[in-house]
Amino acid sequence: MTEAPPALDIRALSKSYRIGHLRGKRRQALRDVTLRVPRGAVFGCLGPNGSGKSTTLKLLLGLIFPDSGDALILGHPIGARAARQSLGYLPENPYFYDYLTPREYLDYAGRLFGLPPGARKDRARELLDLVGLTTAADVQMRRFSKGMLQRLGLAQALVNRPELVFLDEPMSGLDPLGRRSVREIILRLKAEGSTVFFSTHILPDAETLCDEVAVLRGGSVVAKGRLDQILSLDVSHMEVLVSGLPPDLSGLPEGVETFRAMGERLVLHVPEKQLGGVVVAVEQRGGRVLAVQPVRQSLEDFFVAEMGQPAPAEAWTAEA
Amino acid sequence: MRRVAAVARNAFRESVRERVLYNLLFFAVIMTVSGLLLGELSIRQDAKIIKDLGLAAMDLFGTLIALFVGVGLVSKEIERRSLHPLLAKPVSRDEFLLGKFAGLGFTLLVNVGFMTVGLYATLLALGRGADPALLKAVFAIYLALLVTVALALLLSIVTSTVVASVSTLCLVIAGRYSDVILNLGDVVPGMPAWALRAVMVLIPNFRNFDLKDRVVYGDTVSLGDLGWITAYAAAYTGTVITLAVIAFRRRELT
Repeated sequence: MTEAPPALDIRALSKSYRIGHLRGKRRQALRDVTLRVPRGAVFGCLGPNGSGKSTTLKLLLGLIFPDSGDALILGHPIGARAARQSLGYLPENPYFYDYLTPREYLDYAGRLFGLPPGARKDRARELLDLVGLTTAADVQMRRFSKGMLQRLGLAQALVNRPELVFLDEPMSGLDPLGRRSVREIILRLKAEGSTVFFSTHILPDAETLCDEVAVLRGGSVVAKGRLDQILSLDVSHMEVLVSGLPPDLSGLPEGVETFRAMGERLVLHVPEKQLGGVVVAVEQRGGRVLAVQPVRQSLEDFFVAEMGQPAPAEAWTAEA
Repeated sequence: MRRVAAVARNAFRESVRERVLYNLLFFAVIMTVSGLLLGELSIRQDAKIIKDLGLAAMDLFGTLIALFVGVGLVSKEIERRSLHPLLAKPVSRDEFLLGKFAGLGFTLLVNVGFMTVGLYATLLALGRGADPALLKAVFAIYLALLVTVALALLLSIVTSTVVASVSTLCLVIAGRYSDVILNLGDVVPGMPAWALRAVMVLIPNFRNFDLKDRVVYGDTVSLGDLGWITAYAAAYTGTVITLAVIAFRRRELT
């Protein structure tokens, strides 16, 4: 039995844009990006603004064309109708037609997938309920907020029960409840066996949701893999919550690297080996240790450290 | 075909919701006012003026819609990126463009259809006969509108919206004065014959579609004449739409 191809197989994808008044310069937006996303995974494409996340998505969807490299989407080349039949896509800051209502837009999307009328109607109702737009189902979108458009964007990406969903900054413009709802939808898609490829710069979301991530910087992949492969699982230091000590920490033993005040309490950052000595010292000075917590490297720590490094290569080149 | 129809349906719905068909109100006002004012003239004269006015208004309003809505048909979608989520679905760029063309084509058909009914209603209200020959001029106007939409669509894909609007307008005006172009050889003596022919072929000859005077003044317009202008419109529109499809396939949607 042949194994199903990966959801996404990106091979050395590169893209540059012509820029300037005479378009004589090129900006390298993506450089030899190679990624493989297994079926059923939630994959996060991370990076700061301008790192190439949206360019990657637009290339995969055939909206723009690569300078070199290629990709297979669900085993099909970029742009193949068979692949698009099983795809969903939420663009960044989506814009839909002002003159349509969400129900009409979802019906239009369903028509493009060739769904019969009954199925279109049922699916629209189901999706509007899923994203919390049932009460606004028949309101023209010219009256929608950014968050409501984002919700509809998510709904239209799921019309065809896609095997692979591309979400470009799915949390953008959403309030905390909306973000939570999107997180739940992503996890539900995963549970149903769909693959989710999403770009974000909201790192806690990626940390919560992703099986694997790729970190982009200046158009290049600077790290990729499972989170436990990328992040160090070793404890970097201990956080000790104490009370009853003077806020200037005068007289504390060496070992406390840094500290911060939390009202009348203090949070001490202490190397693991020094923990015992610091706890004894706190108690000798009349203080109380309220909690001790090991701290591991977060995705944010990793991201900040990576982004602090020099760029992989000069991003701006003159046309040869 | 199903997907082309879906895009066309949405393009028509857009025209209706964005009040493109409001021009029908102006047409109705023109027809009513002219009907009231021209009652003083002799019977033969007022019928001719109303026919002339009705067909000219149909032509003008139709051309304005074809030009300005045509230019924004796809370029607006590119600018606002509203076509990004659609092109991620199993609709090709060719189908999208053809659907947009068909949608505006249908809008214009409805528009011209209502105006034709309005024109006949005015004539009947004044007790003048419903001259069926008018339909030949209306048909020719509609063909000219389709040519205009095709040009607007092509130019909006290869240039900016402003350049496309201005250049389509220039082509429409030039095409209505194609007899001047025919005499360009006299105005510019050194102009080679092949260059003159090239200009004549490239610029749509909108005079071919102008049957207004012939119909109003009772000249015969044969089926052969109609067949010829239909073939010309089909060839010109087909070529321009093919070029638009090729340009749109290559267009990067950033």
